[in-house]
Amino acid sequence: MILVPITYTGGVYRHDEVIDYIEDLGGYIVQKHEMAQEMVLQAFIPKEDIGRFTAFTKPLAGEVTESPLVGCEIAVVIPSLEIHHLPHSACDIAEYLRTVGAKTNMVGLARGFGKRISQLNDEERDVINEHDLAIYVLGNFETCIEEKFNGLRRGVNVPIILTGAPPHEALKRITDPPAAGYVGNLGRFMHRTRTEADIGRLDAIVEETARVLNAIRDEIAHDPLSVSPARLKEVIEDGIPEIREVYSPTPITVQLTGLRIKLPFDRYRDVIKSLPVEEDVTIGDTAWISPSRMRDYILVQIKPFSETHIVV
Amino acid sequence: MTMLDAFEVECFEEVGQDVYKQITETVLSDHNLTAVISKLRIFIDPRIPIFVAVGTIRDAGARIRVSDIGSVQVQGDNTVISIRDETYLAQFLTRLYDIFGHDHVDQPDRFTVIISEVEIPQDFEQIEIVNRADTVLRDLIYAMTVIAPEGFKVRRESYGKRQFFYAASENTLPEHVVEDMVSGQFALIGEEMA
Repeated sequence: MILVPITYTGGVYRHDEVIDYIEDLGGYIVQKHEMAQEMVLQAFIPKEDIGRFTAFTKPLAGEVTESPLVGCEIAVVIPSLEIHHLPHSACDIAEYLRTVGAKTNMVGLARGFGKRISQLNDEERDVINEHDLAIYVLGNFETCIEEKFNGLRRGVNVPIILTGAPPHEALKRITDPPAAGYVGNLGRFMHRTRTEADIGRLDAIVEETARVLNAIRDEIAHDPLSVSPARLKEVIEDGIPEIREVYSPTPITVQLTGLRIKLPFDRYRDVIKSLPVEEDVTIGDTAWISPSRMRDYILVQIKPFSETHIVV
Repeated sequence: MTMLDAFEVECFEEVGQDVYKQITETVLSDHNLTAVISKLRIFIDPRIPIFVAVGTIRDAGARIRVSDIGSVQVQGDNTVISIRDETYLAQFLTRLYDIFGHDHVDQPDRFTVIISEVEIPQDFEQIEIVNRADTVLRDLIYAMTVIAPEGFKVRRESYGKRQFFYAASENTLPEHVVEDMVSGQFALIGEEMA
């Protein structure tokens, strides 16, 4: 069964039926936003059931759109978050990616500015590596990007999309080894993105991100995960009721190959490890559980089939 | 940016040059400085790296008086000031507290200030609250900090009566190199460095 990421937008009226329907189809809810009378659901549903689901939601005036960015966590990396350089273009990029379903975190580097003096410390590197993808929002000069990019990507092993003011071809030319994706014409500017041209650039980022993510998904499909991250999320929600008391917008963040659980590591590691996914198979059997470098959260990385020889 | 007599950004990278031109325009209009600057020239070379901005200002000696901030009406024992322009309201209120004391000055809403039970000086409307010339060059240097590329922390700045310059780099550059560059830029806008 191939699960595809979708976004459902509709009213609160009878939304519980929509949720039940997704679950009956064998899909999973990734995130649920309730804003006054409106409801936005980000979910995974089986590919062959999209038509059926769309027909089901039609009388409820709901809208179903495929959103390839749902179910991934993206780091938007920016050399600095200095106050006198506000507004940063990265803020708009992070926000725009959220509107199409991605979960983005801004990573403002402590000493990332400048050309010769730019640095990436171990904490920043580890935090970036906990994401599915990193978008580096660099500046306006080719000379600077060429010199500093390799320093800022040292030790980062997740795919990187590089953005900057030089055009796409120039970025590609100066990057060695190549990055996973490039978006040109988008460097530092001092205004909010309002014009059509600005929105077009943000759309280009969404497009490039979707392309890179699909490539990662294809790669994962060669050696599938032992369990789907969205399913693991449900198991944890059922097994640990305390997660409902976490007031973060996403108490459990779904990634492409794992989860970030916003509960203290020391207290919950063993509980999570021993939770049964299915008879005789626990979470500990299907995933590595490690402390996250982000606060005292828990990072769950699902093992591939080749490692466990289990698919549940 | 039509108000500037001369405005130029020079950089060997064309893309960077265009973006910095746009950034400068945005920042100057955000900081209300377009009317103040007469000439402005920015030179950026990311290879050195250096950012130099030189320019001249118009007479910025706009004195803001009470009559510029709002209209004054005497109503019995009270004097009511209806605020027209809030820009300098904070300084205006501080000044009123100094003159009349906190007990006699009240601001019941955003656009009304009432001075009660105290005599108003004859030339009250002509009292100077702010002289923009005192702050404009400082504002200008701050705007240059905002425009300059991130990470250019080694700075040299100067402002005189009508000229200013701002040079920034991430490296400590020899004094004569910076000075030569700044005077070279001044020459290009037809000015002699003071």
